[in-house]
Amino acid sequence: MRKPGEGRPSRLWILLAALVLALAATAAACGGDDEEAADTGAAATTGGGEGTGETIKIGIFANNEGPFAPFEGQTWGGAMLPLINRGATPVSDDPTKGVDDAVIAGHPIEFVYGGSDSTPDKAVEEARRLVEQEKVDILIGPLSGSEGIAVANYSKEQPGITFVNGISGAQDTTLKVRSPNFFRFHNDGTQWTAGLGDYAYNELGWRNVVTIGDDYDFPYSQIAGFVAEFCSIGGNVSKRLWPALGEEDYSSFITQIPEDVDGFFMGVGGTGTVAFVKQYGQLRGNLADKIMGGIFMTDPVILKELGSQVEGVVTAGMTAGDSQEPAYLEYADALGAAYPDLEGTASSVFAYGYYTAMEAVVQGLEQVDGDLSGDQAAFKDALSNLELDAPLGTIKLDENRQAIMDNFLQQIVADNNGDGVPDVKTIKTIPQVDQTFAGFFSPDTPSPDRTNPECKKATPPPWTKQGGGG
Amino acid sequence: MTLDRGLRWGPGLLAVVILALAPLLFSDFYLSAVITKALWLGIAAVSLIFLAGYAGMVSLGQVALYGVAGFTAANLVMADGGSKVALNPWVATLLGLVAAVAVGLFLGAIASRSYGIYFLMITLAFSVLVYFFFAQVTQLSGFGGVNNVELPSIVGNPLQEPARLFYIALVVSAVVYVALRYIARAPLGLAFQGVRDDPERMRALGHNVPLLRAVAFGLGALIAGLAGILSVWWNTRISPGSISLSQTIDVLVIAVIGGLYRLEGAWVGAGVVSVLENWLRGVDLVGNRFNTVIGTIFLLIVLVSPGGLVGIWGSATRTLQSRTSSRPAGDTAVPPNEGGSHALP
Repeated sequence: MRKPGEGRPSRLWILLAALVLALAATAAACGGDDEEAADTGAAATTGGGEGTGETIKIGIFANNEGPFAPFEGQTWGGAMLPLINRGATPVSDDPTKGVDDAVIAGHPIEFVYGGSDSTPDKAVEEARRLVEQEKVDILIGPLSGSEGIAVANYSKEQPGITFVNGISGAQDTTLKVRSPNFFRFHNDGTQWTAGLGDYAYNELGWRNVVTIGDDYDFPYSQIAGFVAEFCSIGGNVSKRLWPALGEEDYSSFITQIPEDVDGFFMGVGGTGTVAFVKQYGQLRGNLADKIMGGIFMTDPVILKELGSQVEGVVTAGMTAGDSQEPAYLEYADALGAAYPDLEGTASSVFAYGYYTAMEAVVQGLEQVDGDLSGDQAAFKDALSNLELDAPLGTIKLDENRQAIMDNFLQQIVADNNGDGVPDVKTIKTIPQVDQTFAGFFSPDTPSPDRTNPECKKATPPPWTKQGGGG
Repeated sequence: MTLDRGLRWGPGLLAVVILALAPLLFSDFYLSAVITKALWLGIAAVSLIFLAGYAGMVSLGQVALYGVAGFTAANLVMADGGSKVALNPWVATLLGLVAAVAVGLFLGAIASRSYGIYFLMITLAFSVLVYFFFAQVTQLSGFGGVNNVELPSIVGNPLQEPARLFYIALVVSAVVYVALRYIARAPLGLAFQGVRDDPERMRALGHNVPLLRAVAFGLGALIAGLAGILSVWWNTRISPGSISLSQTIDVLVIAVIGGLYRLEGAWVGAGVVSVLENWLRGVDLVGNRFNTVIGTIFLLIVLVSPGGLVGIWGSATRTLQSRTSSRPAGDTAVPPNEGGSHALP
């Protein structure tokens, strides 16, 4: 039985829907204006002069939400530096505001700001907005491991756009997805661990270890490298613990680490690194002789927070904060000069990863005189063949457009330079580590995950003692 | 009365025309990333509005239910990640919906005896549980989720031909809307509303109140499941990030902004939120503070018009009508205040 009045359904709402759509139309039509409001780039030629060529739009996105949001400034600082080195001027001390007067090969450069939250959904949504709505020619990003796999997959749908990875380090992104227009000018998480298994086994005498890392693709890749190397020599990984990314209470995981293991590999990243180390200290005491760290341990921001409690910890990665190479010192000084807040953060992988991405883009564009015609074929070709003379050594790409570069085994040591932050000492440089990790990984091997790769004895990689290396 | 009729039918016609022509009026990106997204988010929100407005149950479990449908379907077809099963996408879709309804009925059976804040907490707990289930069980998902999901051929490639998925989402939205309006007036829907208004009296009249509430929840789960399937088709992927707590909050915010007691409010709210999200991200000053803006709008709506945007529109037109005629104002399926006093703790 109908109530009186129910037979006359109101249609007023539909007008509202129409208004919403009208607003949508306005927004779509105004897209151009908004872009200009958001854009921070303008004009002049590389090394001075006025840009007269067609404007090139570059989208940049890292994480402005989630566990990696604290590193956004470093990513943008790194990305802006190649342009600042070529005469552009920072808009403000906030690197995300971009630079003025950026010109490459006579083409003015415009930047479009983006940001996601470390989830693959958000990363693809943001990549789509930048590519399909903002119409960027080149996209630099994303930051986090699982984001990278999703964005690399998406890049296959946009063959006319060039994607250059920011600092997302999952192995699958380039080894499995192999998108022809997705480039990564830094090592992946697996490559970053080269040398750690060898050091644990031969120098520290560890035989039985536990690993702990966030439960997603980047730590899977990182721990895969450590497991492959450590087990190939004869070590045993008795347990792999996987707290969720963004976890704040690690106590239940710390208690799962048996007291009698020789040590453990700590791959908890983002905001979790500091929480984990502090909680470990409270529950188990000094961890310096028990722990091996992933790349986050030597991040300058995290190191400052953790202080002396991590002195002695050995880590590995693609940056060497103690490098005295003139090119590196120049890079570090330029970063601090451009953005005072980033003083001392040059060795952050976030800054260095986005720096190498932008430097590669700039050099690629210079090689082709900014010509992006024909689905950017010439530009992509230039990138594929680029040998990037980066501050910490040469970077070149393999056939999957994945970087081959040096890896540095480092130890956190007491502060010597008086800045109150522990220093980093490079113990060993492993030259030109490639993504197969000396043959352990290929497009056909199982993707690194909670249980892969298996811990088994194999031919040790050449940089280990057993493999014939130092 | 001309004005009255115009206000009643004009907007409907306009909306139908604009929506039918949307693929011609908007860019492919806008059609897909904003309008199609608004349609499936609207379906998710309408499942909440239906439960809140007609059955008096404000559920925070709708996103988890659409996750159940989405993850089930994604796991049963060819995809990167997840289980290795590769069924026909339509079979997977059907099984996804069945799974959502089954889980919905089960949860409904558990939650049907609790009211107010307790019901809210049970559904919230369920939402968190489903999120962590899929985040932790890497055989079915893991943090990275299930990617490159095979879609039914009718959908095509949603990135290259977004109009197809748009029309599918539009048709599904229309069917859901019409079906819910129909159910609302059918004996079952009237029984739901009876339970909403006075469970004790319904019990005294011989109705099985927990059963009715569980059935309503199952129905809500079916609608949420449809949104989940569409979201997988739209994204071609699903990950725990798609059904996180923030998405649960988003759907609640959409429902409140649109109007928690009017079905059409779901799509109005979803439309407004999608458009704003897309537009504000390009505005330099706002950029990454989108949530602050939406939060402010949310607060304003809650303070000024508990009936949401649809409520504001309703009062505006009522005022207009009362000035031009002495006739009483138009109907509302669920008067905001009446529904509000029962649905919200």
